[in-house]
Amino acid sequence: MTRLEDWLTWTLSPSLSAILVTLIFSLTLPILIHTYLYKRAVAKELPTFLLLGPSGAGKTSLLTLLSNGTPSPTHTSQAPQTATCQLPSTTRSSEDKYRSENDTSSRTQPSILLLDTPGHGKLRHHAIASLTSPTALKGLLFVVDSAVLSSAAGLTETAEYLYDVLLLLQKRHTQGKTSKGPLAIPVLLVANKQDVFTSLPAGLVKSKLEEELGKVRQTRSKGLLDSGIGMDDDGEADEESNWLGEYGAKGFKFAQMREHGVEVEVVGMSTSAEGEDEGRVHECWGWIGANV
Amino acid sequence: MLDGFEILTTSGIVLWRRHYTPISSSLIDSLVRDVFIEEKQKPGGGENGAPSYKKDRYTLRWTSAKDVGLVFVAVYQSLLHLSWIESLLTAVKGLFIKAYGQELKAAHTLKVNTAQWDPTFDALVNRLDTGSTRRQSDTIDSEGPTELTPPSSSAGDDADEPPPVPAPLFRKPAIPIKRDDLVGDSTSTDATPIPTPDTSRPATPGHAPSHLLTAKGGPGKASRRSRKAQTFNASAPASSGDESSPGHNLKGGAKTAAKGKRRWDVDGMAIEGDDDGVLDYSAPATPGPDSTERELDVAEVNTSQMGSRTGKGQFVLKDLDDEVDAILASSSKPQQRSNATDDTTGSGLLASASSRLTSLFRNVVGGKTLTKADLQLPLQQMQTHLLSKNVAPEAANRLCQAVETDLLDQKTANYTSIESTIRDSMTKALTRMLTPTSSLDLLREVTSITSGQGAPARPYVISIVGVNGVGKSTNLSKIAFFLLQNHFRVLVVAGDTFRSGAVEQLRVHVRNLSALSQREGVGKVELFEKGYGKDAATVARDAVAFATNKGAQPPGGSGQMLYDVVLIDTAGRRHNDSRLMSSLTKFGQLANPDKVFMVGEALVGTDSVAQARNFAKEFVDTKGKLRNNGVGMDGFIISKCDTVGDMVGTLVSMVHATGIPVVFLGVGQHYGDLRGLNVGWAVDKLMK
Repeated sequence: MTRLEDWLTWTLSPSLSAILVTLIFSLTLPILIHTYLYKRAVAKELPTFLLLGPSGAGKTSLLTLLSNGTPSPTHTSQAPQTATCQLPSTTRSSEDKYRSENDTSSRTQPSILLLDTPGHGKLRHHAIASLTSPTALKGLLFVVDSAVLSSAAGLTETAEYLYDVLLLLQKRHTQGKTSKGPLAIPVLLVANKQDVFTSLPAGLVKSKLEEELGKVRQTRSKGLLDSGIGMDDDGEADEESNWLGEYGAKGFKFAQMREHGVEVEVVGMSTSAEGEDEGRVHECWGWIGANV
Repeated sequence: MLDGFEILTTSGIVLWRRHYTPISSSLIDSLVRDVFIEEKQKPGGGENGAPSYKKDRYTLRWTSAKDVGLVFVAVYQSLLHLSWIESLLTAVKGLFIKAYGQELKAAHTLKVNTAQWDPTFDALVNRLDTGSTRRQSDTIDSEGPTELTPPSSSAGDDADEPPPVPAPLFRKPAIPIKRDDLVGDSTSTDATPIPTPDTSRPATPGHAPSHLLTAKGGPGKASRRSRKAQTFNASAPASSGDESSPGHNLKGGAKTAAKGKRRWDVDGMAIEGDDDGVLDYSAPATPGPDSTERELDVAEVNTSQMGSRTGKGQFVLKDLDDEVDAILASSSKPQQRSNATDDTTGSGLLASASSRLTSLFRNVVGGKTLTKADLQLPLQQMQTHLLSKNVAPEAANRLCQAVETDLLDQKTANYTSIESTIRDSMTKALTRMLTPTSSLDLLREVTSITSGQGAPARPYVISIVGVNGVGKSTNLSKIAFFLLQNHFRVLVVAGDTFRSGAVEQLRVHVRNLSALSQREGVGKVELFEKGYGKDAATVARDAVAFATNKGAQPPGGSGQMLYDVVLIDTAGRRHNDSRLMSSLTKFGQLANPDKVFMVGEALVGTDSVAQARNFAKEFVDTKGKLRNNGVGMDGFIISKCDTVGDMVGTLVSMVHATGIPVVFLGVGQHYGDLRGLNVGWAVDKLMK
């Protein structure tokens, strides 16, 4: 008991050692609390890439391929799924733009967050919400089934979804509130299932989709007005704002999206082909690396 | 015999699968699409908590774990009846979550190392799968006596040993039945035969003795047996027997005590004793060793069965047994859910007040785990709110059930109250219900059919149906106006041959529309009518033939179609008048429309559900299948939406009743008052 009293008396006394101890304690305690609290805090947000496309295109399969290296068997998705993965060592990322090829210094590849969304018509709001919410979205991978594009119904469904997505990106760019505007999001059109016999090659996929998008934008512009037309106050029923690409142009080309900052590139690949060069995943990785 | 078992996540990745025979992956894809996403099947309709879904010739039964986001699916042929599937699903769910739950709860897991799962699953199947054929005959036989007769000890025996009647002819079936049981036991992994031969066999000894026996006890027993044979021949072997029913105990017990043979003399009196006389002279020469062998086999099965029931059998993985027993026992007991907010534990006013304060605090701050009692009151308020928006009670009920199953045992987010969580969940459920699987683009479809891609060019046929006075003719002319503005040639067909003035009404509309179109120089519109009193279906067929114009020699072009779109108006009819509704079927088959739209007014109340259902089921094609992938119609047009203001609940009721999406909304009485549906707008109005 007396030892405790003595010790307490010492701590409250104006001796040099007590002052030093107090000083050290009061300076290091906030630093310790800070490091404890911020250790648990969310790390710097990873660059996000969104996977979307019509149902059955192979988005979940591509997600497993990119994150695990081998594709897992999949079924129709009901919910979105995220996965973090690191760029493979053979891919050059945008950070290494000015680095020489023969540079031998070790560098850690950046890691990315892949977001897979369901493609079913009723669940597309997940994808639309991810597009409009302010995350560090660096790119969009629109996965299409090249085999189903040869039928009219499949082509229509794919084109309508792609039209909605591109129009959303265009509006995001043109109707920005500030003069700076949001960062442009590039789009990679992945023509999946190239190993199927009836699949169309990547170039043909691009031209067919362009043609179909032209038709879709024609009919959408002439279509009925929406029932929610008086809903948002600042959105006016402007014909030009609802027209994808170049207003008044005859046909649609992906190059017309460039003026709205949306770069569209087409890559053909297959998630279920054996062998690295057969599947051509490295093209996907190359694009991701360039846009990280 | 199980064909396959898969464990998949809600995001579609297959974590583990076991296929005993090749199964196409489109089977489970269609299960996910039809049941989970589009909700075409009523949830919870299955037996014992494992609902079933049938497609092609397979039955799929599943169970899901919401907290980790997993779905467990078992696939087997529809012809079999495997009663152990529910316990397999429950056991697999419990064991898998116990083994891999932690890994799955961590974010971003795409795969788990399932190498140790294979032997566990094999052991589980071996334990639960006790030979499907024999199991089925046992359950069916044990159900029969309990239905008709008071359970007696001899009733269970009837399954295996038919009543010993004096004629040696009827002794024969005893042996084949026993042999079948042996086959079922020893080779449980082989493909078991379809059980129909097994169930039909007892009918022969059952029926035959009834007219031969004259003694007292015999007819009673035989007729009981024949009655039992009749019941399980008549009823489908669909209900699954409880594995621990008293029938099994009875059967097991009765089997060990061998039943004494009874002999009858010519006077019809029972002769006691004399058990050693062999009455069946058609039996094989040395029945002794065979019969004892058979006796031995039967006895073996008995002890192992009783052993597993007491829970201490000799199996490979002993701890697996205990776990599985615990899981099965806990799932079969009724759940006594203890409330997290049980505030009657403390004593008196102070304890209850403080617990109410803490629950209030938790409600504001968030992080509260939701229980049934928590959700009950706010859900009731939400249901009343929906009912006040003119949503049918059935639809409001279903939505609240969906929200409840979604939110039960979830934690609320930070600083959100229960009410706002329920609101969010209800908005999501409404959006999902109202969003169509594929949105209708009428202009594209018309263009592709009339320009002839793939098929020869023909006119596009649209027909409008509905009850009396909802606005069919008005909305038809609005659609005609829209099509005219897009440079199509429209033929309006007066298919209402019953109501006086219907043809004149359409004539006025067509006159207005042609004046409008001539003024702007777009399109062409004409009326096709055959007066009153004719059959609407034949009028429609003639109109389509006229528009197609095949074989005729018109002044311009040879055999070119005269009109691009044919719009057929029909008479309004009460949906509960079966005579009028059945004429719709003939109309659908003769006119063969590309699109059938039903008009419903926004003012109607609960009747909308019955209207939608009755109209949808009338449109069957000649093979008896509902058109448009089994839904019947192609879309709803909800008219008079400008009169209801916020109370647009009819949209929800009609979509809930049939699953058919809403395509147009009528918002006024002028030709331009036609809108498409914006789901966000509709959900906003409903939740305001």
